Amino acid sequence: MIDSKLYLDKNKTVMFGIFENPEKFLDTVAKVNAKGANILDCYTPFPLHGIEKAMGLKRSRLPIASFICGCLGFLSAATLQYYIMAYDWIMVIGNKPSIGVSWVPVLFELTILFTAFGTAIAFFIRNKMLHGKLPMERIDMRQTDDRLVVAIATDAENTNKSELSAMLFEGGAVEVKERTNHGYDDFSDVMINNNGTVIA
Amino acid sequence: MIHDSVIRPNLVTGDKTLHDVTTEICRPIENKPSMSWSIGFSISVIFLGLLGLTLFITEYTGIGTWGLNKSVQWGWDITNFVFWVGIGHAGTLISAILLLFRQKWRMSINRSAEAMTIFAVMCAAIFPFFHMGRLWVGIYWVFPLPNAFGSLWVNFHSPLLWDVFAISTYFSVSLVFWYLGLIPDIATVRDRAKTAGRKFWYNFFSMGWTGSVRTWNRYEVVSLILAGISTPLVLSVHTIVSMDFATSVVPGWHTTIFPPYFVAGAIFSGFGMVLTLLVIARKVMNYQDYITIGHLEAMCKVVMLTGTMVGLAYITEFFVAAYSGVEYEQYAFINRATGPYWWAYWSMMSCNLIAPQVFWFKWARTTPWFIFMLSVVVNVGMWFERFVIIVTSLHREYLPSGWVMYSPTRIEIGIFLGTFGLFFTCFFLFSKFLPVINMSELKAILKNRE
Repeated sequence: MIDSKLYLDKNKTVMFGIFENPEKFLDTVAKVNAKGANILDCYTPFPLHGIEKAMGLKRSRLPIASFICGCLGFLSAATLQYYIMAYDWIMVIGNKPSIGVSWVPVLFELTILFTAFGTAIAFFIRNKMLHGKLPMERIDMRQTDDRLVVAIATDAENTNKSELSAMLFEGGAVEVKERTNHGYDDFSDVMINNNGTVIA
Repeated sequence: MIHDSVIRPNLVTGDKTLHDVTTEICRPIENKPSMSWSIGFSISVIFLGLLGLTLFITEYTGIGTWGLNKSVQWGWDITNFVFWVGIGHAGTLISAILLLFRQKWRMSINRSAEAMTIFAVMCAAIFPFFHMGRLWVGIYWVFPLPNAFGSLWVNFHSPLLWDVFAISTYFSVSLVFWYLGLIPDIATVRDRAKTAGRKFWYNFFSMGWTGSVRTWNRYEVVSLILAGISTPLVLSVHTIVSMDFATSVVPGWHTTIFPPYFVAGAIFSGFGMVLTLLVIARKVMNYQDYITIGHLEAMCKVVMLTGTMVGLAYITEFFVAAYSGVEYEQYAFINRATGPYWWAYWSMMSCNLIAPQVFWFKWARTTPWFIFMLSVVVNVGMWFERFVIIVTSLHREYLPSGWVMYSPTRIEIGIFLGTFGLFFTCFFLFSKFLPVINMSELKAILKNRE
């Protein structure tokens, strides 16, 4: 289930294009994607609409998890009320039936409760989010502030790095970086200039 | 990509860039608290202490410290409970219902309104718990837990139990919604953090957020689902609160209009409190560019609409009582308007139905000091509404031999004032440690994108 592409360390070398203008960023990502480059991910400080199309992402399947959790909540509420009102100790109050419309509020509330928590937990699991985990995908400290980052895998033999970096700069990148992975959470970053050479 | 309307004014004024938004909204977190913050916080903590003291006296001596009697078994306690739950309705309404309606003006105010929801529900929960008297056995009375008293289960026919489920679901779902919305902003604070403490805590709560597009993609789906389920939830909560009254046989309570009437009242009082807080907060925190006059105006329109709906419900109740031909029902309403508690009834009428009508005038909707005054009037009026419903119905029920008057004791007044202490203490802490405005959502609607 977990997308191996999410982990930057699965690739030996990764090039990052860092942008400040969302429109230029969007155009460049679409262009780079059309060129056939292997885009791993993009990092934006806000939900940038249209980027999922530019990257070729599919719609999330999280609603399935929500639906299952909702059903589970409904069944839990039904079981709880049946056990308490009609099985363990039958309570007849005001000559009303043990099973009836008075169940509806609790059925409804528990369905909502389970859906909300289930959706949130599924979201955290799917993104591998955890309390206190410091992400290695912090390429630029301002990627949660005002900068947008595109991460492109440059492992493949036929990758023309100088063409790629030129394309990023042309599209409006303010910085291009290249990361070399030595192992999990062990990497070195270098800055690249617009003809693909490393800046000392 | 961004579809700008040429007619509509910008939601954020001052031609802000993405970076401006970050620095300005992170400012209170990254700097020492201001003088006004410290004074406000200290006063709130004193009132919080009052809450602790009065609740201790209630538990230590017993529920007899309250002014309740054999006829009026619910007095200020449940009045305050319904008052606070009502206030808690604006947050989820703003973040869920306005999200579904694609109302972008919600983005500047949803964070603080959601925080308010959570704090208000916390204040509300105090009252039903403490009005049971013996807290330590109360846990078996409200939650379906196996216990040592034989088969003593809760009764699922009772609206009081539905209320337990509704309020606890509402509180926890609102918390989840609020926290999910906070994660990207907490990550922003983490990435700007200079001190070790801030680095640790904001890293802890940001859960490794990076702003990855894959995550954003799922995040948007999750927001939509949560908004979709919170919308019926927010409507259900006050519906169920109203059933505490509507399913009884007390004249004045036993009416089918209660659920929609309570929901409208809750939204009305919730927006009243949001306005009270934000008119001050935008001034003190210098957020006039984010929470603009346009935002205040939109909220005033909601206040006017819901106030009128509540007023219509008051009048409908009178009509239905007259039309029903039931003399007890008729007496209950005549007693409300002309009986010993007439002053409470007319305070409610003038604050809730008449006062918000000034919002028909543009000047009234766009003048902050006036909006503030009126929002306080709305809060007072909505408190009186609950007092009128609860006390005037109970103090003269079917048998005149049970007719009594009710007045609160110092302890009850202390608890009520104390809950304001709890509410404002939480709000001050929130405004110091978390971004008061949703930065990541706001950045998406900025027009200056350089």
